[in-house]
Amino acid sequence: MTARGLTPSLLLQLLVVAGAAGARWRGQGTTPHLQSIILGRCAEYDALVNPDPRGRNCTAIWEAFKVVLVKDPCSVLPSDYDRFIDLSRHSIPRDKSLFWENNHLLVTSYSENGLRFLPLCSVLYGRIGDFLSWCRQENASGLDYQSCPTSEDCENNAVDSFWKRASMQYARESSGVISVMLNGSEPSGAYPVKGESCGEGTVKILEERLKKMGFQYSCINDHLPVKLLKCVDHSTHPDCVLNSAAASREIPPLWAEHGASHIVPFLVALASAVHM
Amino acid sequence: MANHRCGSVSEEEPCCDISKKTKICLCVFFGLLVAVIIAVPVGILMWRHPLQEWKGKGTTAHFYEILLGRCYTYTQIVRPELGHKDCQKIGKAFTTAFLSKDPCSSTEQDYQPLLELTAQTVPCNKTLFWSKSSQLAHDYTRVQGDLFTLEDTLLGYMADGLKWCGDPRSSEMNYQSCPDWREDCSNNSFSVFWNAVSKRFAEDACGVVHVVLNGSISNTFDERSTFGRVEVFNLRPEKVHQLQAWVMHDVGGVHSDSCSSSSVNNLKRILKERSIAFSCQNNYGPIRLLQCVKNPEPSSCRFYV
Repeated sequence: MTARGLTPSLLLQLLVVAGAAGARWRGQGTTPHLQSIILGRCAEYDALVNPDPRGRNCTAIWEAFKVVLVKDPCSVLPSDYDRFIDLSRHSIPRDKSLFWENNHLLVTSYSENGLRFLPLCSVLYGRIGDFLSWCRQENASGLDYQSCPTSEDCENNAVDSFWKRASMQYARESSGVISVMLNGSEPSGAYPVKGESCGEGTVKILEERLKKMGFQYSCINDHLPVKLLKCVDHSTHPDCVLNSAAASREIPPLWAEHGASHIVPFLVALASAVHM
Repeated sequence: MANHRCGSVSEEEPCCDISKKTKICLCVFFGLLVAVIIAVPVGILMWRHPLQEWKGKGTTAHFYEILLGRCYTYTQIVRPELGHKDCQKIGKAFTTAFLSKDPCSSTEQDYQPLLELTAQTVPCNKTLFWSKSSQLAHDYTRVQGDLFTLEDTLLGYMADGLKWCGDPRSSEMNYQSCPDWREDCSNNSFSVFWNAVSKRFAEDACGVVHVVLNGSISNTFDERSTFGRVEVFNLRPEKVHQLQAWVMHDVGGVHSDSCSSSSVNNLKRILKERSIAFSCQNNYGPIRLLQCVKNPEPSSCRFYV
């Protein structure tokens, strides 16, 4: 294919499409410069976020992570990350755990960088993997930058196994009051089995499971601070108008939402852990 | 050891009976011993105080790894349209700007190569300045992903929260201390950097720009702040036709200043002289909602039912 007559961006798009069409797996390829990003994140965590008085060895943490990069892309088990977790784990303050489903960005905003809550992506081992993708090539020893397997391709892929192992650790280290943020407007159901409000539908399934496990729980619809946060993006929606003299309503907002979506009841289930 | 050897040969015979070779070996050994005895304390003294001492906090631990990691995160994940940027080159240009140099004689020229490598277009109408409102402004851009504070640009993102300085007598970063702006010197490598990047951030702005100001302190527009000193004066009137200020009061807090106060009017006057229009809004809705998320104080944060 000659490049003459094609603008550079069009050529690039065609190449990307061609590349994607030939991709082995359904998921995004390995993030470029994976090692530098991981080392940088570890260093940043240690220097700025939560320094370990004993000192963390980020090189050792990277070496422990690296072991999965030589494995067949569909043969990576959660236990392959055991050493990595061992080196990067740290305690989680009581009552700060926040589990979530289908609302990654909202959770990040609401957690306020670990001030309000410490979700998995704010814990060292979670932060290391956040938004990254990685896998070895199927028939060669190098990393696959084109695509990586998702759960639809195979269960034991590097990324899914990572999050399974990390989530297990996170759950084990959680104590006190555990919070869960679910997306009530997710068509397949807030609790991923398939309810939109407390005591209904899929949320009822969660509540019953927790009851069986011996946990106390309570559920709040439309938890105010979270509703306020959602409203930041939809400030012109009728449900989001504040009733206060201090807020100005007369000046037309600069960022009017086009076709403001409906604010649906937002669920926060608070489950009180009996152990610890 | 030598004495023992000497002694074991014979206790009665004098030591000049040992061979020439052994004598030379002994001389060399003692020579080295003396050299070591002198060199070690000197070395320790030099190692303990080789770098200048300042009043401010030292370079952030693992500075270079953090810098590089952030560059890659930004160019590969946050803004992948910048994926072509060479982070190795950028990291090198950053450290070259201050390593082996007097940290009190930093100039904008030192950072020129770095500025060139990290040039970035911020779309018009998307620039957000802030003054005495860092937390709130950044909470807002975290949620409103298409707006940019300086810390949402590549270079700002890389340097945010970090500290750095070098030393003229060493090629290493000074992790012990760095010059404090007030107590040591104002032309320090850290302050000069932020002045230079703020200037460029303002120069690059276009369309309608915004600023988040803190109405719960006096002097909400402070002419000595980076916003007041650098950014306001580097807006280009031919590109920026309006600056809109959002004066935010702490929820349930003091209303010290507002759009009608004298410091804000001062800002208006300065902009007028520069042919840039000014408008102002107290407690801009979306940011007020954000404040309420943190502090759902009943009187200011109740929804209209």
